Amino acid sequence: MAQATIKERKSLSAWLSQEKVFRLIPFIMVEATFLLLLAIPFMLTIYISLLKWRANRPFEQAYFHGLLNYVRVLTTEDFWWALGRTFYFAGTAVFFELVIGFLLAMLAYKQFRGRRIYITIFLIPMMVVPVVGGYNFSMIYIDSGPLNQILAPITEAMGVNPRIRWLSHPIAAQWAIIIADVWQWTSLTFLIFLSGFTALPQQLTNAARVLGASRWQIFWKVHLPLLKPAIMIAVIIRSMEALKLFDLSVLLTFGGPGTSTETIAFFLWRQVWQFNKYSFGAAASIILLFIFGALIFYGIYLLVRERSIVEEESMR
Amino acid sequence: MASITLQNLVKKFGETVTAVAGVDLDVSDGEFMVVVGPSGCGKTTTLNMISGFEEPTSGSIMIGERVVTHLEPGDRGLGMVFQDLALFPHMTVFENIAFGMRVDKTADAEVKERVSKVATTMKISHLLSKKPAQCSGGEAQRVALARTIVTEPQVLLMDEPLSSLDAKLRIEMRTELKRLHEELKSTFLYVTHDQAEAMTMADRIMVMESGYVQQIDTPLGIYRKPTNQFVGTFFGQPTMNVVSGRIDNGGAPRFVSEYFELSIEPDAVPASATGKAINLGVRSENVTIGNEGAAGEVKLIEPLGDETLVFFSSGDEEFLVAKVDAEREFGPGDKIHFAFQSSAIHFFDAESGVRLE
Ligand SMILES: Nc1ncnc2c1ncn2[C@@H]1O[C@H](COP(=O)(O)OP(=O)(O)O)[C@@H](O)[C@H]1O
Ligand SMILES: [Mg+2]
Repeated sequence: MAQATIKERKSLSAWLSQEKVFRLIPFIMVEATFLLLLAIPFMLTIYISLLKWRANRPFEQAYFHGLLNYVRVLTTEDFWWALGRTFYFAGTAVFFELVIGFLLAMLAYKQFRGRRIYITIFLIPMMVVPVVGGYNFSMIYIDSGPLNQILAPITEAMGVNPRIRWLSHPIAAQWAIIIADVWQWTSLTFLIFLSGFTALPQQLTNAARVLGASRWQIFWKVHLPLLKPAIMIAVIIRSMEALKLFDLSVLLTFGGPGTSTETIAFFLWRQVWQFNKYSFGAAASIILLFIFGALIFYGIYLLVRERSIVEEESMR
Repeated sequence: MASITLQNLVKKFGETVTAVAGVDLDVSDGEFMVVVGPSGCGKTTTLNMISGFEEPTSGSIMIGERVVTHLEPGDRGLGMVFQDLALFPHMTVFENIAFGMRVDKTADAEVKERVSKVATTMKISHLLSKKPAQCSGGEAQRVALARTIVTEPQVLLMDEPLSSLDAKLRIEMRTELKRLHEELKSTFLYVTHDQAEAMTMADRIMVMESGYVQQIDTPLGIYRKPTNQFVGTFFGQPTMNVVSGRIDNGGAPRFVSEYFELSIEPDAVPASATGKAINLGVRSENVTIGNEGAAGEVKLIEPLGDETLVFFSSGDEEFLVAKVDAEREFGPGDKIHFAFQSSAIHFFDAESGVRLE
């Protein structure tokens, strides 16, 4: 008996010391992680989305409901409003992040005194924890707060009430969230564009100059096309992230006033945790998964295509 | 068509680095001038000041009758071919060649005509729709040339344009560039660190070292009468033999080094060379191996085909090389006698390296 276990152990250690085991180990870990982290919750979500289950009733009483939850989601007007609003927020915020980040990078990529300090300062917002950033903005936006005080000379000159209700006026609140997002994430686009500008070969600029191109022509005909990959990367990374906008809505306005700042992520959270509509929430998240999944795959496709073009061009 | 005139051109980077220390140069209209020197001697910096990428610290630059020292690169009427070619990677070959005309807003029909004409001369018509990355090294080289000459510049600047090519292609392109120069009849200013390239292509050569001009002359002039030891040893393959010693002028002049003595014909010895420490320079083809002269021992043989390089030593320390007819056979260990052709000996001051005449 004792001998048998020893023998067994021996053969186990022999098996483990085989070369092929090492090739299996990463594979097993990847598979296990995939199963645990992705497949199981995903299956569970699909399962729940097919039930009629509310948290105020015990789970045993839940019963199959077919695709009714999906129909409900697709016919809920608020779902579509929240989705549209999310695209509006993401689109506007990413637009400003790209433009401002690009302009800042354009100013900062040339050598000048104190360049490093400026670059470091421009990168700080990105490093602030989002919750802290949101909290800071909630104080800045108070009706009698610093932002309105700074703006007062302008607003008064324009004949507008200087007490702008940043967080309780529907349109002002939307802009409040967009501005906070732009503040935080312009750093990232700045960084991407800065590395893009720095990587521009000086000799190409020189070649264009000798051929008589003006600064403006060099920018449009040489620099901008070469920066296209960086622009694509910035657009895709930021869009993917901005579509998930959640924390700022929660911290600044809690979706209000009304539902004017309710993003799709916030909508989902509210359906599940405020209204306890678990099955509804599950169905909505599956639908979103498909919509965003399609967008992300399209984005990745564009990125990969852009990269292969870049590689082909730099190949020599 | 235009000449280039540089007057006391200086470029300093910061307080300490003097990249170009006062260059005076006259390149006449239609000349093929080659600037040559070891890496870091200031060739690129000189060229960049002529093209306008670097502002000179002092001095002036004229192209033709115009002072261009402070003009924009595009306003100087010159073309440039870059070391790494600098083709625009995102444009087709056609658009690369057309770039100079596009920024001038030349009419489409004329652009087409001129691009196709230059593409025919450069034999790249079949490449026009390709991207630069799809061209081979030699093809890309032609595209870069086509892009430059299509704008019909009066002056063509080239910074080591052949350095990215392999050896065989490089030699082919030398001939091609010379042919192009004959055809265009514009002024070429060509930078290289390769003395063989300079020798084969140039009408005249300017040799630079550490930011200073060493000599400006025709290739043969430089080869036969180097102004100093640096220029003498820089040109020629294998490197010129240099032996330190002095001239003993008691009766018939003799060159006396630590290891050997050789008599030299009296009229070959400049008066200034006697009575002080000198370096004697002699090229391998001017070293004769025969029955007379100083004793030596063959160390190594390097056959070149039509000729043979014989590396030998005199004493234990002094190593020399001779170029002899391939028919004459030598082997390592052979005892020989060697002498120098008096008329082909160069005398350099041992301290300053200046040629003594
Ligand atoms: N932008 C620069 N800043 C500082 N030093 C430079 C710069 N460009 C060139 N140099 C220095 O000037 C010298 C000449 O350089 P360069 O003209 O490029 O030499 P070459 O082309 O003959 O190899 C080198 O010592 C180089 O280090
Ligand atoms: Mg150089």
